Amino acid sequence: MSLPYLFRSLVSLLLVVGVTAPVLAGEPTEQIKQTTDKIFSIVKDPALKGSSKAQERRRSIHKAVDERFDWGEMARRSLGRYWVQRTAEEKKEFVHLFSELVERAYMSKVEDYSGEKVQYEGEPIDGDYAVVKVNIITQKNRDISVDYRLQKEGNEWRVYDVSIEGVSLVNNYRTQFNSIILQSSYENLLTRLKVKVARE
Amino acid sequence: MKIVYSISILSMFCLIVFPMLCPAGDLTASLPEGFILQPDEVIQVKVAMAPPEPSTSGSSVDTIISSSEPLASFHPIEDSIPISQSDESIRLALANIPPPPSKVEEPVEMIADPLEPVNRAFFQFNDKFYFWILKPVASGYKAIIPEDGRVGVRNFFSNLTTPIRLVNCLLQAKFKGAGNETVRFLLNTTFGLVGFLDPAKKEFKIQKQEADFGQTLGVWGIGPAFFINWPILGPSSARDTVGYVGDLFLDPENYLIASIPINLAAKSYDQVNETSLVLGEYEDLKKAALDPYLALKDAYHQYRQNKIRGR
Repeated sequence: MSLPYLFRSLVSLLLVVGVTAPVLAGEPTEQIKQTTDKIFSIVKDPALKGSSKAQERRRSIHKAVDERFDWGEMARRSLGRYWVQRTAEEKKEFVHLFSELVERAYMSKVEDYSGEKVQYEGEPIDGDYAVVKVNIITQKNRDISVDYRLQKEGNEWRVYDVSIEGVSLVNNYRTQFNSIILQSSYENLLTRLKVKVARE
Repeated sequence: MKIVYSISILSMFCLIVFPMLCPAGDLTASLPEGFILQPDEVIQVKVAMAPPEPSTSGSSVDTIISSSEPLASFHPIEDSIPISQSDESIRLALANIPPPPSKVEEPVEMIADPLEPVNRAFFQFNDKFYFWILKPVASGYKAIIPEDGRVGVRNFFSNLTTPIRLVNCLLQAKFKGAGNETVRFLLNTTFGLVGFLDPAKKEFKIQKQEADFGQTLGVWGIGPAFFINWPILGPSSARDTVGYVGDLFLDPENYLIASIPINLAAKSYDQVNETSLVLGEYEDLKKAALDPYLALKDAYHQYRQNKIRGR
């Protein structure tokens, strides 16, 4: 082999290695990945499979989610301008009900995970706020874009909103809650929340 | 043209199921100026008198709740003290006050709904229609035809409606999208068994460029006006309904198929097929929502807004 050819092949080899080396993801993406990996491992865990282990499995998922999702912040934002008027007790109660509502609604979806590919597509960071953009490729070959909005709290980045295809969870609930409070009262909203959470 | 129009009214079957991914859209032009603060702007909020609480404790809920001062609304308050962000102790106090919308946050908008009673009635009708007619038929169909086949049918119908996306891309000056759609059509029709397969996406990674006339009107600056919930067709807006009718003139099916019943049948089949692939999404919406009608309306609106802004 002549020297130039050897040199060229070495260079191309290095380039390939360079290109396929993992891109350094920022902190928010890393922390999101940690949580999703943790949840996937719980779902895939053979020791926790089956309906008999459902309680335990759900508790583990619940714990993993609580680390990353800032329910207090989400609940506060979803109540909008009516948050200020609540007492400390009411706030606590509302945060609890809100987290129950959302978790129950989406828990079964989490458990239905069956190998969808997740592509991380960038994370614009703006001071203490970041958006982690994710693309989920479902098995039916549909692309779903999901944005996680995070806020830095100490060393942890925590999610305060999730947007699926541009539909923000917090905004969606805020529309509903605001309408209900406007048409009736906060007490009515609370009652409806309790009924709904009890039912699911 | 009259025939096309009547087909359009009758072929409501084919349009929308009820997933949260239904399109909706609006412009943010109606927002007050300066709603979204730039990072170097001074934040004007009321400074709390209570001592700052460090947020290093595990539960941020307690931090938020135990603070005694009132939380400001999302908008900056006019009669307040300007502070620079770099002051640490004030920043901690601010931790208990809602942060200003950062650059990457989107503003909240609600779509007008003067027809709410009628829309709600149609919502109930659609609900029954879904559970009593559409879902049973789609479930039966799903049990017979394997998923690959149904995805193929979806691809086929999607390939047929390329002109709609192509023309609307051009109208929105999205030339790359128009190019993509042309290439996709050519590839999928020739190598993809007249559209059943999608080699353009699988092999060549050319993504579908969603575009419709309602979106085009939005890009041109027309707001949605108000929310309309059509029976069978599902959620829409005044603008998007005009867009839907406009797209009927671009849909090849309306020109290729001479007889109305066959056209209707084709569109109904498309709808049943699509529903069979998204069974469960409407149920999920109802499960997650406190008021499903409002959830659907808001999801539709946010979705369309997102489509018009473009991702």
